[in-house]
Amino acid sequence: MYATKQPSLRIDQSDLMCKKGCGYYGNADWEGYCSKCYRNHMDQERQKKSRQSQADHSKAQVSGFSKFEEKKRQQTDKKNKYLKSLPVFRKSSSAKDSGRPEKYIDMRQANPDADKLMAEFISSYGEWGEHVRKDFFKCVQAFTTKMLSELDAKPIEDLAEIAQNYYNLYNKRVNTNDVYQGVTSEVKDELLDFFERYSMVSLYSFLFCPPSTNDEEKDLTIQDRIRKLSWVNAHHLDCCISETSIEVRDLVYTAINDLLGLDSMKAPQEKLSCVVRCCRSVVKVLQHCQGGPVSADEFLPALIFVVLKANPARLKSNILYVTRFCNDSRLMQGEAGYYFTNLCCAVSFIENLTAESLNMPEQEFQSYMSGEVTCVSAWESALVACEGMHQLCEHLALLKGLLERTAVVQDGTQKLREDMEKLKDEINEKVASVLERTPLIIKPRKIPIPITRDNLPVSPSIHIPKIVDTNMPETDEITPHNYYLQNLSMTQINLLDSTKTKLQLDITPCLPVPNTAQMPSQSTEFLSPSGIDNRSLDSLTPDDNSYLGLSKINYDIDFSDLSADNSIAEELTPEKRKSPTPSFTTPDPFSPVGVSCNIMQSPLVPSSGPMLVPVQERPPKKDDFVLPFLESIPKKVEEETLLDKLEETPIISLPSPIKPFTSEYTGFSKQGSKIPSIPCNTGDFSSLNLSQSSLPSSSKDPN
Amino acid sequence: MARDYDHLFKLLIIGDSGVGKSSLLLRFSDNTFTGSYITTIGVDFKIKTVHINGQKVKLQIWDTAGQERFRTITSTYYRGTHGVIVVYDVTNGESFANVKRWLHEIEQNCDLVNKVLVGNKNDTPERKVVLTEDAQRFADTMNIQLFETSAKDNINVEEMFMAITRLVLDSKLEMMKRQNVTQNDTVNLKQKNKPGKKNKCC
Repeated sequence: MYATKQPSLRIDQSDLMCKKGCGYYGNADWEGYCSKCYRNHMDQERQKKSRQSQADHSKAQVSGFSKFEEKKRQQTDKKNKYLKSLPVFRKSSSAKDSGRPEKYIDMRQANPDADKLMAEFISSYGEWGEHVRKDFFKCVQAFTTKMLSELDAKPIEDLAEIAQNYYNLYNKRVNTNDVYQGVTSEVKDELLDFFERYSMVSLYSFLFCPPSTNDEEKDLTIQDRIRKLSWVNAHHLDCCISETSIEVRDLVYTAINDLLGLDSMKAPQEKLSCVVRCCRSVVKVLQHCQGGPVSADEFLPALIFVVLKANPARLKSNILYVTRFCNDSRLMQGEAGYYFTNLCCAVSFIENLTAESLNMPEQEFQSYMSGEVTCVSAWESALVACEGMHQLCEHLALLKGLLERTAVVQDGTQKLREDMEKLKDEINEKVASVLERTPLIIKPRKIPIPITRDNLPVSPSIHIPKIVDTNMPETDEITPHNYYLQNLSMTQINLLDSTKTKLQLDITPCLPVPNTAQMPSQSTEFLSPSGIDNRSLDSLTPDDNSYLGLSKINYDIDFSDLSADNSIAEELTPEKRKSPTPSFTTPDPFSPVGVSCNIMQSPLVPSSGPMLVPVQERPPKKDDFVLPFLESIPKKVEEETLLDKLEETPIISLPSPIKPFTSEYTGFSKQGSKIPSIPCNTGDFSSLNLSQSSLPSSSKDPN
Repeated sequence: MARDYDHLFKLLIIGDSGVGKSSLLLRFSDNTFTGSYITTIGVDFKIKTVHINGQKVKLQIWDTAGQERFRTITSTYYRGTHGVIVVYDVTNGESFANVKRWLHEIEQNCDLVNKVLVGNKNDTPERKVVLTEDAQRFADTMNIQLFETSAKDNINVEEMFMAITRLVLDSKLEMMKRQNVTQNDTVNLKQKNKPGKKNKCC
């Protein structure tokens, strides 16, 4: 055979095709047809023959028998065809009616594999003695002859039954017969396995895809089906196989190769081991892809995918062969059994595959099946087309991946940019807010001073007192005005602590006396804008007695506070900063509660009154106010005034000389505030801090 | 027969996809829950030997794909099965509703097989939707033992597998006894069979 074939090694592509030109490859054994066309061809021939033979025998044959005859003929025809395909059987095939013994001899001749196995057996189990070997071959021979004798008479299912019975018999024999007494149980199992293998290898050509069955047709059907389903990819089956990963691809190829190897094996257990290897590769693929243990939920789809991509030759025949002639216990148990079962499931899934089972619309499924739409994937190109196409697809996939990653990076960049913008805005905002907050505190403090100063000078009453101030000691009248001035300035003094008690005492009488109805209302209104007044209110808590000693310093601090607010404010935490501001609002609730509050407000009123009320009204009011004030507290005021005078005179006398210099009050006020502030900072800064820090707590309590 | 086991049983785990069949199997065979390690062969095929009444019982547990689309083809799995574990997810009412279909499928494929009903994922009470009473009532009507397990927290898993093994073993011993009594001829032949061939279904 080889000799004839060798020269024709260079075969033209067209020579390989089916003679009928159906597009499939032909086979020399099939007279140059493909399997399908050959079958059609043979059928036609057979029909011709049968017509002839029927013509010959029609009279002699009973109808029932003719059927049987027909079937028998078909069988032999098929067998002949099959035998023809195997070069070894050429000779015997020519002698159609050759007897069984001849067949048996053929079989022995034909099976180099069986001979190999025999040699293997002798080398492996020779040590167990001649009698074991003899018995083994005796049993094998008995089995094979029995099978061959029944081959034509019985359907394949019965043959399978016989085979199973023989396996069991041999199993029994191995375990009970004296011949196998010295053999260990492991070797017994191996012997059983070998028995199956040897006999099946010997009988393979008769039992695999027997002509009495339509196995071959099934093979072709499933092959065609799988070919039609070549567009199905991993995505359709919901299994996570990353098609472009090299390791995964290699593993899938390994699995496919193992599955393709199924057809080249002869013994059922060898076929099974192919299946097991394939399935293990599939499991590895899944482990690689999903990085964890694999469950059947994922395994089966992946196996289906591999079967679809492999499209193994004579798949159905192989499965049926294994099912029939493999030892039942092996098929129902063990890893091989499990994986083989899965393979069967995969195949039957492919056979019954519908649009529904792929979760796609019927229309789409049909268009894929009819080839209207083709689905190009890495696998298609790898398995169907050429390597270049495959690489192209891989590169496309890679590019796609890169594109996605670029998009991610770009998104990230965009986000980063936005974040930066946001951060910038936030920082700006924060800075702005901080700037807004801090100057807010500064400004109101700074403004009130000029305002107060403005007010004071505007109102004639203040002018006078100030002038008088210089002459302080003599006039009692001046003292209350001084008080006002003081009070205005005292706001900060209050912070310090002590002064109020006396101030309160002093002023309390003032309130009832002047305008009880008008003043408070105005005062409250006025209070809100000026922070200083509030402070004075807050600080009014009557704690300290040490007025005298502190008074001097207090005055200094008053101004310093006003001017040096910034520095202090900066040091203060926002909470502390806030604390004075809320006190703005507090006066309202305050005023009714504490007498002291009223007292503090009242002194301001004269200055504030003018702001709200027409200027004309001021002088009388002031006068009124001053007078009662003086009148009402002759004794106490005197006492305090005396004290005040003693203390105040030196301090206030200092600013007084400055006053004349400046015609404009604002300027003066600034200067005035500045001048004392310098000593204050140097002098009593610590005490100020203390007082201010203590203040918020006291002011908070009423809130 | 110097085998490393006295009995070999094939158990089948069935149930909807995602009810935790594989997790149960993994928990029982390896006492692990997540895939922190890689198995040499998949979870889908596991062997574990347990001891019951001093007898070594080798269990082969077959995991099955629970997806709806594979429902029609799974009959081959039932060949030679001794026991079936029907799993549902206590946090998924649908999986419990499907139990009936699974039981029906068992009936179609096997005449005589031991079954247990298992409600898995019984570890977060707030997510539980299948009440124990309902499941128990159903199990009672079907005459099946019910187990509520958690493969995640390893609750009741071992007990469940031991229970089904015991059921299978008992029925096997029962059958052997009956066979010994009734047909003495076949006993010799069949006794020599590998254990596990006795009460195969299909």
